[in-house]
Amino acid sequence: MSSGNEFEPILVEDIGSEHPISQTKNYLLSLLSSYGFTSIEGPEIETEEFNFDMLNIKKTHPARQMHDTFYIDNKSFVLRTHTSPVQIRAMTLNQPPFSYSSGGKVYRKDDDATHLPMFHQVEGIHIDKEVNFAQLKDLIYKIIFELFGTDTKIRFRPSYFPFTEPSAEVDILSNNGKWLEILGCGIVNPVVIENCDIDAITYSGLAFGLGVERIAMLKYGVDDIRDFYKSNLDFLKQF
Amino acid sequence: MKILYKHILSFLEEKPSIEDISEKLFQLGHENEITNEIIDIEFTPNRGDCLSAYGIARDLGVFYKFNSWLDIDNSNIEPLQIDFTNKCSEDCPFIIFLNIEIDGEIKKYQPYIEDYFQNLGVKKNNFFTDMSNYLAYEIGQPTHCYDFDKINNEIEFNNVELDFEFETLLGKKIKLTNNNCIFSSNGTPINLAGIMGDKSTSCKKDTSNALIECAYFNPESIIGKALKYDLNSDASYKFERGVNPEFLNIAIRRFIKIVSDHVNISKINIYEKSYEDLIKKVLDFDVSIINKILGVNISKDLYANYIEMLGFALTNDKKIIVPSHRHDIKHQNDMAEEVARIIGYNNIEIKDFMPIDRDKLPETLTKDKAIKNLLIKNGFSEVINAPFTKHGSSTSLQIDNPLDINKSFFRTSLKDSLVDNIIYNENRQHDSIKIFEISDIYTKNNGINSEKSLCLAISGRVSNNYENFSKKLDKKYLNDLFANADIDLDSNLIEKVSRDGLKTKQKNEIYCLEIKIDDIPKLPLSNNHKASVNKPFFKYNKISDFPSSTRDISFLLHDETLISELENTLLNLKSENLKEAFVFDFYKKDSNNIKIGFRFIFQSRFSTLTISDVDKEMINIIDVTKNISGVEIPGL
Repeated sequence: MSSGNEFEPILVEDIGSEHPISQTKNYLLSLLSSYGFTSIEGPEIETEEFNFDMLNIKKTHPARQMHDTFYIDNKSFVLRTHTSPVQIRAMTLNQPPFSYSSGGKVYRKDDDATHLPMFHQVEGIHIDKEVNFAQLKDLIYKIIFELFGTDTKIRFRPSYFPFTEPSAEVDILSNNGKWLEILGCGIVNPVVIENCDIDAITYSGLAFGLGVERIAMLKYGVDDIRDFYKSNLDFLKQF
Repeated sequence: MKILYKHILSFLEEKPSIEDISEKLFQLGHENEITNEIIDIEFTPNRGDCLSAYGIARDLGVFYKFNSWLDIDNSNIEPLQIDFTNKCSEDCPFIIFLNIEIDGEIKKYQPYIEDYFQNLGVKKNNFFTDMSNYLAYEIGQPTHCYDFDKINNEIEFNNVELDFEFETLLGKKIKLTNNNCIFSSNGTPINLAGIMGDKSTSCKKDTSNALIECAYFNPESIIGKALKYDLNSDASYKFERGVNPEFLNIAIRRFIKIVSDHVNISKINIYEKSYEDLIKKVLDFDVSIINKILGVNISKDLYANYIEMLGFALTNDKKIIVPSHRHDIKHQNDMAEEVARIIGYNNIEIKDFMPIDRDKLPETLTKDKAIKNLLIKNGFSEVINAPFTKHGSSTSLQIDNPLDINKSFFRTSLKDSLVDNIIYNENRQHDSIKIFEISDIYTKNNGINSEKSLCLAISGRVSNNYENFSKKLDKKYLNDLFANADIDLDSNLIEKVSRDGLKTKQKNEIYCLEIKIDDIPKLPLSNNHKASVNKPFFKYNKISDFPSSTRDISFLLHDETLISELENTLLNLKSENLKEAFVFDFYKKDSNNIKIGFRFIFQSRFSTLTISDVDKEMINIIDVTKNISGVEIPGL
């Protein structure tokens, strides 16, 4: 707002807004930066090698089926299904120690009230000597406490991702007493480390990924994921 | 997968409560819900070994003593003389055929079987299929039941390319295409291996002479086929995740026992063939690796104890023998996960995460961030659109498997998406629209090219404040926006969008500007924003789907000092239905003769407001202003 002459109405400046998903993504990347993660970017159109093979996602994995993944130009490429290939590309070019974060659009062939074919992820990977699950828990606690407050109740559940072993899903206890899944994480599968020509005996790593829409919905109280992409100015101008 | 509590208990020597089992399943990574005496468990795709009452009890064996005993037929079974050819043994390396003939009437099923059908709501088919279905539920091994009299004692297994119409045993007709693992008889496919048999050779209610096929299929040979043919197959779900190749003989003998619990068996013969040796995985027993992965400090003895609880064997030369049902255990990290599941992920003590010590570089303001800041400062809202479009060109990337025909191509321009966004908002009564999108654009031209583009689109009023209310967004506005930021842009990039074919009654001109970020000559001038500013999170107000109503009202003021009081009063009014209020008109003839126009926009979240509803709101507004002396409403 600008007030010019005191005997004139306030001349309200028309301020626009950054998309809430961009804001949330940037918040998460900024948070990870404070833990030493360097933000990197990569292509949304990927090869199967970087999107799947390097991440130990076998040819027979359900995620690689045509009903889960968008394929392009006679299966020459895929729309990336996660931002992990961004990290893989960086891992193949650098030697540890390093901590990378990647954020951006990802695509899965899914379209219903709770899933969209395009959504956003922020992921992190940290490779160093003697990285272990107990440290992963510490980092995850720090991220969640930063996001939802230090009195947040957190639960780790064993899960399965081909690129991490052990793998975990992390839930927080919501106000209505239900556990809400917040992120997936794990110790980087040594197969993935070796795929990037890094010595998996010497180095180990931790990795995690968050759905940006999920975090934005919780933080802003948005209850329908589709609201983010209607481009309704009544919605967007609030941010 | 739904499993009856009592069926899990039947394989445990202890009798934990259903709640205790549920909690332990969570600790093991099996999400579950309890309904009455049924536990509905969601298994991760790597745990095919758990897809049965027996399997889940075995996994619970780390907490409760697992009773692995199965009531099986232990008789000596004469060999079956069957003409079986396996032309693709890598897809089916282990197989058993059992010919079983029964006589007598089956009056009712045993309670343990009846529980399965009644409590889990499973539909009965015929005796042999029902027994087969129960077996798969109980111990996890699918079997297929043929009517032996219909297959002429000749079966061939192969992985072949086909173009064949196949009618499943459930009567669904599917077209088999490309490569499929198939059992054939006399050259005709009779079973889509590991998924579903055909109708002509399947067992019926009157079948008394059955051939039971019990096989191990390579998961890679089966995966995706049930989905491809839209078949709901419990067998394929299990085979895709891997069954236990060492368990086939036990499974078939359990099948015989279950049948014999119901009816007299007059004949049994068995054909059993392995095409490769079963090689068990072996891992080093090294607790230091486990401690290193998990960040814990368990002893060697405790680790050995855990291994025993898991049902793994430990040799004298300190090797871990992985049981054949655990396809998911391949390396030390898998063993670490097993240990972590026993300890409980939540019980592993936290250790400080140590960030890599590096010099923190100052955050740089990139061109796209700087442009974004400039636009937001000038009233533009960022939009994010999905990149799919129905319009393709020679440079468009085509999606092989689009969600629908209107989303077959990757967009090569952002403009169409933003024009759609403008129309969407015009149809929701927005009359000042300034939006932008920054996104990567992908095209094909000797490979895939990627460029980050900016597109902005405008329509309607410049803004709602009284200085700009009557000004329209146009080409000059965009030129001035960039010129004021000292960015020299080619004005030919600004395009007036034709409204022909657009679904809107609005007549405001629409202008778009699309440019590659790299083609923007420099950072905007006087960009005071930092590279990134984290705004605090807040709870947003749910938006309404109902139309809004607009009312304008003008006030005449005889004292310029009243401007601020009137403004504070009206712009801070609280009403559930008042969406927005602003001064859209201001005229000052002199300090005692001032005209101010206010616009009020009303909208309910729950219904369309009537004229009467809006009138009531306006009366309240007018009443409030009556308390300010020196303010009048002309004509009132």
